[in-house]
Amino acid sequence: MNLALTYPWVLALIPLALLPLAFAIQRRQGYPSLAGVEPDGLSRAVDIGLHLLGALAILSLLAAIGGLHLKGQTVERVGEGSHVVLLLDRSSSMDETFAGKQATETEASKSSVARELMREFINRRDHDRFGVAAFSTMAMPVLPITSHKDAVLGAVDAITRPGLAYTNVGQGLALALSMHEADPTAASRAILLVSDGAAVIDRRVQERLREQIAKRPVNLYWLYLRTAGAPGIFDPPREGVPDTPQAMPERHLNLFFQSLKVPYRAFEAENPEAIADAIEEIDKLERNPIRYQERIPEIDLSDLAYGIAAATLLLLLLAKLAEVRLETGGALTRSGAGGTVAATRQATDNETKRLKEAA
Amino acid sequence: MIDPRRPEDDAPPPDLPYQLAWRSSEVRAGAHRGKREGAGGFFRDVAPLLRSPDPRRLDLRVSARDPFEGLHVRRFEQKATVTVYALVDVSASMGFRGASDKMRIAADLCAALASAVRRAGDAFGLIGCDAEVQKELTFLATRARGSEVEMLRRLRNFTPRGAGTGGMVDAAALVGGGRKVIFLISDFYMPRPEIEAIFGALARHDIIPIVLSDTAELERLPRWGLLSLTDLEVGRRRLVVMRPRLWEAWQRRSGRRRADLKSIAGRYGRTPFVVEDRIDWERLSGYLAGGVA
Repeated sequence: MNLALTYPWVLALIPLALLPLAFAIQRRQGYPSLAGVEPDGLSRAVDIGLHLLGALAILSLLAAIGGLHLKGQTVERVGEGSHVVLLLDRSSSMDETFAGKQATETEASKSSVARELMREFINRRDHDRFGVAAFSTMAMPVLPITSHKDAVLGAVDAITRPGLAYTNVGQGLALALSMHEADPTAASRAILLVSDGAAVIDRRVQERLREQIAKRPVNLYWLYLRTAGAPGIFDPPREGVPDTPQAMPERHLNLFFQSLKVPYRAFEAENPEAIADAIEEIDKLERNPIRYQERIPEIDLSDLAYGIAAATLLLLLLAKLAEVRLETGGALTRSGAGGTVAATRQATDNETKRLKEAA
Repeated sequence: MIDPRRPEDDAPPPDLPYQLAWRSSEVRAGAHRGKREGAGGFFRDVAPLLRSPDPRRLDLRVSARDPFEGLHVRRFEQKATVTVYALVDVSASMGFRGASDKMRIAADLCAALASAVRRAGDAFGLIGCDAEVQKELTFLATRARGSEVEMLRRLRNFTPRGAGTGGMVDAAALVGGGRKVIFLISDFYMPRPEIEAIFGALARHDIIPIVLSDTAELERLPRWGLLSLTDLEVGRRRLVVMRPRLWEAWQRRSGRRRADLKSIAGRYGRTPFVVEDRIDWERLSGYLAGGVA
């Protein structure tokens, strides 16, 4: 229980709750002797109950005025998921359809298809944390690894903006890896590379990537959005074409990834359905235990306290309304102190005198 | 609520004759049957002249019948006075005001008694007590006319605030020996042993218990509702959830209490007279004249 008060000074008024224990809500009526009163368990219970109700009413009012609430907190939970950096290709070819044409109303561009499916993927994975990076001629950090889903979705939405020219996969990967390095938690890590083409990675850059990956191993997924007629990842070189990275960058990037000695899957997607299948596959693979923080919001209890106060006050009011008085038959009831007795007697004497005069 | 009865209906009668079933041993000539012989009154017996040397009362028939020719005189009962005390409970419980004012009723009763006692030529005394005998309400019996004015003034102005009734037992010592008439005026809201102690202390006297009761404290209690009662004597508070079952139990309890008092008082010779809300003077006269209340 994390009860807290917005205004703790009301605690100073807590002694007020003792008042109903000391006093009764009913008017005191004198009776010659309580020895003549039939003892009754129900009456005793009601008496004690009314006193306690009074104390409860004051306490709950104080709690309500003081703004009683359950403090918000973050709880560490264990679930399934991982930290994923989405590495998005922002080259201008992503704005084309799978057929390599300009996007029309009936045929969506590769980027928008990828966006929809990634949104779905992000929404499905409750406990994952996502980072977003994009690359074109240069790598662009978009969003560090975070659990704020809305920000991630916003960043993913942005990939439908018109793309830039060139595809610099090496720098993008370096950025994605450094984003993972900046994240200190011990979660399972993944990089999801979404691109529609590849480029030659410089030897020196390759060496640096190898070092980075060795330092912090990640699961690597490459979602290759293959445009019709473009060379595939797994295609062997055709007759007459030299098997060099320059001639077949996709094939050689795949070979480079395979040589990294980390879990790696490549998906070749030629249409939106294939992308969906690939993402489904990634969803299945990335099921590792993860510790994640869950935020529990603050719960305001003052309404409840006001409700309790209202209910108890209503009961007390009913008890007050149910109160009856001894029939006094014209004379005033003696109440408590002796002084009052003399006063009431005086009053009655005067009344009698008046009666006598009237008669 | 205005009482429909006119004030004069409640006015005490000029005389409240009280007849006693015993003979007073006082010397002074008065209105009641006494133990001593003297002039007037009932014929008591015949005694030899030598023992009762009053030749005026020679009984010729008895003297002539005597074979030893002794002279005999008639003897008559001397009417005697009695001493009447009113022992008034002035503990705080008597301050209860329901349909009536108990202290006022007690004072009215004492006033009527005092005037009746004066008429009979008897002595009247008043002692007010709660846990102890109240000094300002202690008036030893006197025949002085007009003395009751001060007694009644003090009784009427007295504010009951004490607790307990132990003073009644102490008052027995003030009343002293010799048989007297004691009016015991109280609401008798006391435990049975205390009632027995009081009657025991006054046992040699003719105790006339007058119970002051109020319909508001019993018969006219509400049948439903929450009732917060404070004991007038000890000041303790109690909440009562009134309902018909409890009401009936309450009445039964008070019935038992009255039966207890009746049985104790009966042992000492008289049944108690119950005043409810107002004094029924006619009934009281009948009761004092020897009838049963």
